[in-house]
Amino acid sequence: MSMSICLRCLKRALILPELSSSRAAFSTSASLHANPTKKKAVVPKTLAKAGRTLRLAKNKRVVTARPPAAGERKALRKKVVLSNTNALEVPGLAELSTEIVRDGAQLKALEGKVVGFGAETAEALRCLEGFKPGQGWHLFRRPAALLRKDGVEMGEAIQRAREEKTVERRVVFGDKGSGKSVLLLQSMAMPYLQGWVVIHFPEARDITNAQTPYEPVQTADGKTAYVQPRYIASILSNIAAANRALLNDLRITQQHNLPIPLQSNISLTRLVELGANDAQLAWPIWQAFLSEITAPSQPEKQGGLRPPVFVGMDGVDHIMRMSAYLDTDMKPIHAHDLAIAQSFTAMLSGKTHLANGGMIMAATSGSTRPSVPTLDHFLARAYALGHAEPLKAMRDALLEQTKVTVYDGDLAPLEQLNTSAMHPEVAAQVLELKYGIHHLQENDASLEKLQGFLQRFKVRLPKAAVWDAYLPKDENVVAVMESGVRVTKVAGLSKDEARSVMEYYARSGMLRGSPVTEGLVGEKWTLAGGGIIGELEKGTVAIPSRQLCATKGRPRLASAPAGILDFPFDSAQIRDNITALFMASIMTVVLCLV
Amino acid sequence: MVFLFGVNFPEQRLVSRALQTFYGIGPNVCQRLMARFTIHNTAKIGDLGDRQTNDLAAELSTMTLENDLRRQVVDNIKRLRDMGTYRGRRHAMGLPVRGQRTRTQIMTARKLNKIDRRG
Repeated sequence: MSMSICLRCLKRALILPELSSSRAAFSTSASLHANPTKKKAVVPKTLAKAGRTLRLAKNKRVVTARPPAAGERKALRKKVVLSNTNALEVPGLAELSTEIVRDGAQLKALEGKVVGFGAETAEALRCLEGFKPGQGWHLFRRPAALLRKDGVEMGEAIQRAREEKTVERRVVFGDKGSGKSVLLLQSMAMPYLQGWVVIHFPEARDITNAQTPYEPVQTADGKTAYVQPRYIASILSNIAAANRALLNDLRITQQHNLPIPLQSNISLTRLVELGANDAQLAWPIWQAFLSEITAPSQPEKQGGLRPPVFVGMDGVDHIMRMSAYLDTDMKPIHAHDLAIAQSFTAMLSGKTHLANGGMIMAATSGSTRPSVPTLDHFLARAYALGHAEPLKAMRDALLEQTKVTVYDGDLAPLEQLNTSAMHPEVAAQVLELKYGIHHLQENDASLEKLQGFLQRFKVRLPKAAVWDAYLPKDENVVAVMESGVRVTKVAGLSKDEARSVMEYYARSGMLRGSPVTEGLVGEKWTLAGGGIIGELEKGTVAIPSRQLCATKGRPRLASAPAGILDFPFDSAQIRDNITALFMASIMTVVLCLV
Repeated sequence: MVFLFGVNFPEQRLVSRALQTFYGIGPNVCQRLMARFTIHNTAKIGDLGDRQTNDLAAELSTMTLENDLRRQVVDNIKRLRDMGTYRGRRHAMGLPVRGQRTRTQIMTARKLNKIDRRG
C-alpha cells in the first residue's frame, strides 16, 4: 500500500522539533545573538599636532666609518707640517747658523731677508712646540722666516747677555698676526745655535684654563701654591727632547731632596726625563732642574759647566690675570699662585737670578687675548714713553740750541722721526712741534716767541697710557712690570721687508700670476693693514691649514699646496686681461676697416 | 669602569657629568665639590686618583641625595597638607602653588603638584 506522506516530509517529521529551529537558512542572526562581539573601548589616538613635536628620527646619524682612536682628533688639530714638497726650493736661501748668529755684522747683513732654519734647529724647535699649527709653514719647502729689525735686535741682546753674563728681560706685544710668535721662534733658534739651554712654554693659556690637573702645596712662606703635575711633565719632556745633546754633557752638582733616590752624577737629561715620565715627580724635578741651571758654572767639576738659559713664553697675558681654577673655598685662583706661572714670573721680574746670564722673553697673544687692563696699561705706557721721551729730549735740546736766532736749532732728528710707527697721539705731537717751529721760522718770529713756544710745549702721554685711578690695579702684575722689563712692540713690516717676503713667496712658487712689482707690494702692504705680516701672508699665498682641514669634520691633506687651490686672479692679472681684450678688439676693428 | 657612590662610570666620562647624574647634585653643587677636592673642569673619571675618589665618595655619603632627598620633598609637602596650609591644599588639588594664573597655563602644575610628588 502507498504511504500517505512523501519521503521528504517523513524525513522532516522525524527530525526533532527543537532541532528544527525557526532560523532561516544562510542567516547569522542566531549565532550573533549567541556570541555578541565585545565592543572594544575606542581609544582616541592622540594625534600629534603637525610641526609641534620633536621628530628625533629624522636626525639619526648613520655611523658608517670607524670612530677615531683616542687622541687622534687632537693630534690632527695640533699637527704642524713643516715642509711642502710641491713648493720650489729657493736657491741661495740664507740659513741661520752658529757663525752668523755669533757675528753681529753678519746678522745685520741678513736684516730684511728671509732666513731659513737648519734641519737640526727646526727639529729642536718642533720639540719645543715653537711652530704653531695656524702658521703657514706647510706652504713652503723648508721653514724660513723674515729676519726683521726686531730679530736683529734680539740677536744683539742675546750676544750682550752672553758676554756680560746679564739677564735680558723682554715683553713683546703687537697686533694679531704681527709676528710676535715667529719673533719668539727666531729668538729661540739663536740661543739654541749657541749652545744655550732653551725652555719654552708654547701656550700659556693651557696653564690657566683649568684643563689640566692641579694640586695644592704649601710653600716655604706659608702660602698655598698650586702645582700642575701633568703640564710640568709635558714641559720637561719637551726640554729633554730639544736639549738632549747639550744636557747629556751636564751633570748635577747639588744635593736635591727628591721623593726618589738620585745617583750623584746623573746627567741633566736623565733628571729631566725622570720628571717627564712620572707626573708626581714633575714639580720637585722642575725645581731641582731650575736650581741646577741657574747655579753658577763650575768648569772644574766634570759636567759642571753651565751655559746661559733662554726661557720663552707665548701668550703671557693669560697668566697676568685670574685663572679659571677655583680653590677649596670656591674662590678663583690668581694665575701667579700657580706654581709654574710663579716660576716664570719670578724669572721675568728678576727675582730668580740666572747666574750665567740669559734671556727671558714673553710674547703676548693677539688672537686669544683675554681682558688684562693692568698689563695693557703697562704695555701702552712703555710703548708711548719709548717715543715720548726722545721727543721731550729733542725739545729740550732745541731749547738749549736756539740761543741767538730762530734758525739755530738742529731740526734733523725731528725730521727723521718715523711717525707711522708711533701711537697716533704721540705722532700728532711730533707734527705739532715740527710745524710749529717751521711756522715761526717762516714768519721770521722773534727768539722770545720761539722760546715761549718751546717752553709751553708739553709732551703728553696718550690716554691709554695713563691709569684710571678708580680701577683696581692687579698688584701681582704691577710687581712684574715695574721690575725693569723692556717692552717692544712688533709693528707692521716696512715696504722693503714686505717686498723681500713677497719675493720669497714668488721664488717658492706660491705667489703665482704676476711678478712682484712695486705696485703689487704696495697694494698687498696696504691691504695687510700697513704690513702686518700675518695678513700679508693671508692676502698673498695662504689658505691657512685650519681652513683646509675644516671641511665638515673630514680632514683633508693639510699639505695641499695653496698654489693649486688658490684663486689665481688678482687685480693686476684682471687688469692685464682686460687690457689684452681691449687691444684685441681694437685690432679686430682696425683689420676689418682695412 | 670606576665605582663611585654605588654607580659604575666608564673612565672616559667627565667627572662633572658623572656627578650631576645623581639626584640632588646640579651644576652649582658639582662645582663646589670639584673645587673642594681640586678636580679640574675637564677631569675624566679615569683621571681621579684613589684618594680623590674615596674623598668624593665619603663627601657624597654625607650629603642628602637620591631617595633620601625625594623622601624629604614628599615629607615637606605632606607636612604642609597636614597643617592645613594653603600650599598643602594646592598640592592636593594639583594646582599652581606660587600664585600663578589658573585661567590658563597650568599644565606643569597638573603634572607635578601632587602629595606624593615624584621629585
